[in-house]
Amino acid sequence: MTEVTQNQAESHEPTGPSAATMAASAVGLTKVYGEGNTQVVALDHVDIGFEAGKLTAIMGPSGSGKSTLLHCMAGLDNVSEGEVHVGETKISTLSDKELTLLRRERMGFIFQAFNLVPTLTAEENILLPLLLGGREPDSEWKDRVVDTLALRDRLAHRPDELSGGQQQRVAVARALVTRPDIIFADEPTGNLDSISGQEVLGFLRRAVDDWHQTVVMVTHDPGAAGYADVVVFLRDGRQVGRLEEPTADLVLDRIRALEV
Amino acid sequence: MRSVFRLSLRNLASNRLRFALTAFSVLLGVSFVVASFVLTDGLLKTFDNIVEDANADIDAQVRAKSDFEEVAFEDRPIDQSLVEVVSAVDGVGEVSPGTESGKIVPVKANGDPVETAGAPILSFNWTGSSLSPLTLVVGEAPDGAGEFAIDESSADREDLVVGETYDIIGTEGREPFELVGLTRFGDENALAGAVLMSFTLDELQRIDGTEGLLQWINVSAAPDVEDAVLIERLEEALPEDIEAVKGDVIIEEDQDEFSTVVNIFGNILLAFALVAVFVSTFIISNTFNILLGQRVRQLALLRALGASAGQVRFSAVLEALIIGVVASVLGLGGGVLLAVGLRELMNVLGFSLPSIDIILSTRTIIVAALVGIGVTLGASLSPARRAASVPPVAAMRAGFRFGSGEGTRRTIIAIVLAVLGIAGMGYGLFGGSDDTALLLLALGLGAVLVFVAVSMFAPLFSSPSASFLGSPLEHVPRSKITGHMARENAARNNKRTASTAAGLMIGLALIAMASVVASSLKESFRAELGSTLVADYLITPATDGGQFSNQLAAEVAALPEFSEVSAVRYGAARIDGDEKGVVGTDFTVLTDLLDVDVLDGDPVASADPGFVLLTQEAADDNGVEVGDPLMVEFAATGSQILTVGAIYDNPFLIAHYLVDLSGWDANFDAQNDNVIAAKAASGVELADADAALTSLEDAFPQLEFDTRDEFREALEGELDSLLVIINVFLGLAIIIALLGITNTMALSVLERTQEIGLMRAIGMTRRQTRSLIRFEAAVVSLFGALLGVLVGLAFGWIAVIAIPESLIDRIAIPVGTLVFYVVLATIAGLIAASFPARRASRLNVLDAIAHM
Ligand SMILES: Nc1ncnc2c1ncn2[C@@H]1O[C@H](COP(=O)(O)OP(=O)(O)O)[C@@H](O)[C@H]1O
Ligand SMILES: [Mg+2]
Repeated sequence: MTEVTQNQAESHEPTGPSAATMAASAVGLTKVYGEGNTQVVALDHVDIGFEAGKLTAIMGPSGSGKSTLLHCMAGLDNVSEGEVHVGETKISTLSDKELTLLRRERMGFIFQAFNLVPTLTAEENILLPLLLGGREPDSEWKDRVVDTLALRDRLAHRPDELSGGQQQRVAVARALVTRPDIIFADEPTGNLDSISGQEVLGFLRRAVDDWHQTVVMVTHDPGAAGYADVVVFLRDGRQVGRLEEPTADLVLDRIRALEV
Repeated sequence: MRSVFRLSLRNLASNRLRFALTAFSVLLGVSFVVASFVLTDGLLKTFDNIVEDANADIDAQVRAKSDFEEVAFEDRPIDQSLVEVVSAVDGVGEVSPGTESGKIVPVKANGDPVETAGAPILSFNWTGSSLSPLTLVVGEAPDGAGEFAIDESSADREDLVVGETYDIIGTEGREPFELVGLTRFGDENALAGAVLMSFTLDELQRIDGTEGLLQWINVSAAPDVEDAVLIERLEEALPEDIEAVKGDVIIEEDQDEFSTVVNIFGNILLAFALVAVFVSTFIISNTFNILLGQRVRQLALLRALGASAGQVRFSAVLEALIIGVVASVLGLGGGVLLAVGLRELMNVLGFSLPSIDIILSTRTIIVAALVGIGVTLGASLSPARRAASVPPVAAMRAGFRFGSGEGTRRTIIAIVLAVLGIAGMGYGLFGGSDDTALLLLALGLGAVLVFVAVSMFAPLFSSPSASFLGSPLEHVPRSKITGHMARENAARNNKRTASTAAGLMIGLALIAMASVVASSLKESFRAELGSTLVADYLITPATDGGQFSNQLAAEVAALPEFSEVSAVRYGAARIDGDEKGVVGTDFTVLTDLLDVDVLDGDPVASADPGFVLLTQEAADDNGVEVGDPLMVEFAATGSQILTVGAIYDNPFLIAHYLVDLSGWDANFDAQNDNVIAAKAASGVELADADAALTSLEDAFPQLEFDTRDEFREALEGELDSLLVIINVFLGLAIIIALLGITNTMALSVLERTQEIGLMRAIGMTRRQTRSLIRFEAAVVSLFGALLGVLVGLAFGWIAVIAIPESLIDRIAIPVGTLVFYVVLATIAGLIAASFPARRASRLNVLDAIAHM
């Protein structure tokens, strides 16, 4: 019971930093799937903000709405109710084309699997968002990203010639190469062995620390959440907790507490 | 087995759209086959009925005896005095003398002569007899000088009004006639575009120039007189060279004539239909293979759960069977609709066909089932075998892939097929058997095998080719990456690209072949015309087979602007037991008008009824030289011994046997001229010659007065129209091929849902997604079209070699036309991909990601 009270208290607290420093935020975000009997409320009036220059982890049990939240924030899915802002842009009124351009230019994506286009080389995959926009890559920045992710000697390879970890690093590089306002990652380490997973998390961490990128990452691994600046807990489509400066142990404790 | 059946149904249901498209391509092919049968059967039946109705009351016909099949295009005339002989025979009921002429042309109010799209303009004497198929529907029957009637459809089409006066051009010139009535042939006046006029017998004979002559006398038997008895008595009374035949015989002969034409028409339709069916086989096979690839895991799971290889194979074959049955049944219906549609189309084009009975004969149903089910089953055999070969472990292991179609065994099979195919085509073209059907069959089967072989070789080079052909896409402004990915996609699956392109390959190959043959024919013709035709003018009837007054040649010759003029007449005579085409012309000017390339002898010295000229080829056939006698059997005068006056090399525009016009008059029944060739006098400008002809042109509006160039253009125009018709029919095969592209691209989109979703998520616009799919289809189409043109060039080259030198003596490749077709096919492929492209661009990004 105490936990619940605490959560409510937290969620009504004005969330620390002002809206201006939010890379993305949502107010009253509600997502309902289906109708009538089969209706599922995936997100239930969620108010949330993702601070610029921070790595935020979203945690929660399976089916709690983590992916849905990410998709709604990224303009991949339309919302049933509420408003979503990416930076200053209100995305609920944008057309498909405007949303596409927004994703291409101001967002980065890392998915759990099948992140790369199989017919393109690693380099082409990395540059894909730029190529789609017909833009020339900033080669200095690209080199830095490629070298940091240790992909230099893999650039000419196709995805099926890369290991799972390398593939995920290519996806990270692709997300970084446009220097987006925000990077969304849905369980980016879900399919990786622990060493590769830690590598990828390390890179995300460095992107935030060294390059001031903003990353929002869904994970169910407390260890992964330990890399974050902030952890947000979801349950049944609601935000049920928030933890700053998490460690793996703190996260684990909180999960146990929430699931009691 | 029940469970296997349920599995097949379930698969069909879950891939509804795919199977619908597949079934549709089979359906189109089956429909076309059914339509050609239904149309042929219906037309045969209808024409049979018309002929029967038209001749129903004739018990006997009296006519000239002739064992020639084709004598100067018309029956030989008989003397009108025979009417009295016939009437005097005991047991004769009604006697109806008749004659027919194809030389009379009516002129419309605007001064233009009536022309047809190839059907004849025929004139009959009005008998009012129950023995005639014509009945009067408006006005009155022609009953004296200066009156005529015409059939109601022609009056309608040409705006001829009863009560008005129109000029009629006969063999003796042009004179006004009043249109007094409209007639109907049979119940429907279904004349397939022909024009029928009626005159009194006297008037018809006068303007036809056949006074005192008839072509037949129809007779009915008096009551109680047996037909056979009547015939016997008639034969007894009639001279040696006149016969009396039963009404049944006439009906049979007429029906045979119609059915020959209808069957040729039907067989041509059927050939195009089979091309369409063949193309759809590739599409079905391709679809099955792709769907199979997408179901590997499911199949493996089934195998892991204990389904035998046989059961898996059976379920795949069963799916095909269900599609085949559905497509065949629907194809039967579609075919009937198509038959009716084709008939309407022909009516719009001016062939007024009778409304046909829809006859679904057992044969039609069996063939539809054989084609529909056979084709689908056949196309499913190899995919089914492959399905059964999926190892159960593939359920657990990602990335199981079927072979890419480059195996040695496959290559060997392809080589064997290619060799067999080329041998078949070779036999068909050069085999020299007398059995035309056998030759055509060998040719067709050979071509089919070659196409199959090419499609089996294609995976060996489809990927690099597609990659090469797609390279310009990388320079698409604004979206290089879309072009790049489209190129990569087109090269991604060599087998799929190859079999998707195969359909277009076949269509384009046939079109390219037809184009090559046509342009070679044109070029040869043009060159021949340039070197052989010396005459400046050719005067020909606007309606095929027409004849005109023999007076005209004399009138042209009388003009000072012309030096050499000759009439030309077409006929036939029997030489060494075979009927051969014989042309009559004026030997004194022959070489001034047509450079026939005389090898030996002197045509001018042979300008006498006793001589014949022949080509070297004909001379060799008969083993004769100049000065030798040659026995020629004419229909009118029987066997005559003529002397070979000269031997020439080039039968272009004429025939292998020539007689002088004086010889013609001696040995043929009176006949009018078919063509006049004329050469302007030296020093006369063509424009002045033209001007001199103007008054004659006005007097003979039914004739074309062509200069050499106009004549060439007119013939080339006819060839072009024929080519257009061929291409339209081949268009069906192309449409099916495009349907295959739509289908494959739709399946590819489905297969790449994740990939497309991913690209959409990271910033590919809908428009770029559409371009991606369309560009890929364009590359595949371009590959198929180019491959087709290559095969078509090879086929065209072989055909040109096989066609006799006298028709085609050189190969001409219509580069511009071929490029145009390739571009067209590529654009069509792009358009065919519109539907899958739209689907791809509207894929729900999240659904796509959820696939992951
Ligand atoms: N497309 C959809 N249609 C219907 N229900 C959905 C759909 N996507 C997600 N859901 C439901 O919404 C809820 C949240 O799902 P999701 O966001 O995927 O959860 P998580 O990512 O936290 O596991 C679940 O109950 C899920 O079943
Ligand atoms: Mg999820």
